Amino acid sequence: MGATWFSAPAPVARRVRAYFAPVNRATQTPVLFDPSEEGAFNLDAPPAPWIDLGWIQDFVRKPASKSAALLTGIPAAPLEQVRESLGAQVSLQFLSWTKLTMALATGSQHMNVLAAASGAAPAADGAQAAPAVVPQSGSTSTSIVLSASDAAKFTPGSIVAVDVDYTSQTGFVGAPVSGAYVRQALTDVDYIRRVTFNVALVAQVNAAGLTFAEPLPGGAPAANAKVQAVTGFVDREGGSFYQEWSALFVMQGSQGERIYLHYPRLQPMSGAEETVIPLNAKNHNGQSRVLLKGQFLALPVTDPLDGERVVCYRSFVPAANALV
Amino acid sequence: MQNAKDSFYMALRTRLAAINPERTILLRGAVRPGILVEEAEAPFSQLPGDVFVLRWLGLGAEMDLPSIMAAGQCEVIYQTCGTQSFGGLDRGRALSEMDEELLAMVQPFFTPKMNYTSTPPAAMLTQVFWDEPVFTPIAIQRDRLSRTASVVVYSYQEQGE
Repeated sequence: MGATWFSAPAPVARRVRAYFAPVNRATQTPVLFDPSEEGAFNLDAPPAPWIDLGWIQDFVRKPASKSAALLTGIPAAPLEQVRESLGAQVSLQFLSWTKLTMALATGSQHMNVLAAASGAAPAADGAQAAPAVVPQSGSTSTSIVLSASDAAKFTPGSIVAVDVDYTSQTGFVGAPVSGAYVRQALTDVDYIRRVTFNVALVAQVNAAGLTFAEPLPGGAPAANAKVQAVTGFVDREGGSFYQEWSALFVMQGSQGERIYLHYPRLQPMSGAEETVIPLNAKNHNGQSRVLLKGQFLALPVTDPLDGERVVCYRSFVPAANALV
Repeated sequence: MQNAKDSFYMALRTRLAAINPERTILLRGAVRPGILVEEAEAPFSQLPGDVFVLRWLGLGAEMDLPSIMAAGQCEVIYQTCGTQSFGGLDRGRALSEMDEELLAMVQPFFTPKMNYTSTPPAAMLTQVFWDEPVFTPIAIQRDRLSRTASVVVYSYQEQGE
């Protein structure tokens, strides 16, 4: 059995696709992408726990590592090079506004605006919330079983947050995504549902409960989880919390080859910022698209293969039959 | 470039048959999906309506690459007078339907390159790929609406081509 081949020119790609996965902040464990096992995954169905954020634009990555020459002799001449510092930056624009893209494009924690209780005093990140309801047994990642009276509090097309009550704990809160770091105990029982990423759109409501348009990112509700209506999202310029994510960017070439850029640890390095682009380049006063802009600093991990500290892995899966 | 042209046409034809099986044309005694290559048919005095006509125009080549890349410009021309049952008053809707079918046909923006001169067609090593279509404004000629979409189709030359 033989093979024929061709000389492949540089990859030609139309766009870049982004996938993110939460870093476990408590254990400082990033999510790793393994090109040997996952190098041919379906771009529309990434392997867990990667979350597909769709196509992005203006993707730019900049190595920020610096090397310096060790000089010796008279006159001095380079003897060797040493790496003085290690770093990299990534910037991009998201083509949609979702809970996750908003969170990635802000420098601090990202919160759900919980539906307010009747008569509650105004607050910049949402007033005191209407009471949460308790799911019944049998709930899954795509449906929540509720009593008929609780189900009647929700409508199709609404958004809900599903997570546990805040019980005065400190440290990272929220699972599987750490939504915030609590330095001192708070009084808001709904705080975790304010910062949780476990949100979903309600597709159907009936007397038995809610059905979601997409599964909850955190899977089936945890024991003691509660459900609360969300009216929107809010983030702040300032604060001390930095989100941290593992990221995977994929460029698929015209011949089926793939370039993977895997950053095990990315933290946003700027505050919330938008880019406004006119839909018609000849009419700057017309309708414009508002894009979320993300800028990230890559943090190092230690590669267990050889103990080297690195910030990014670039993998290339050649096209079938391409000479290498 | 001929294999790329054939592969592009066959990809669009196969996709059209799935997208709208009702869009057909009776040509040379056979009912086929409603898409044809102008240069592969007898000359038309008037392009047929309600079908897609591929017309190959420009050609370019990038010679310095490890494999030569050829680029062919393909115009997809389509026109309609609407349906008799609505007295042609649905011609705008009919053209919109063809716009949507064309957008669906060109995705995904690649297809395996095949050699259709052999029977059965032989798979080649590379893929043919193309850009998003660029649509012209509608041209109106009495009750006939027509539009052209331009697509640049790329292909790497393989050994023996």
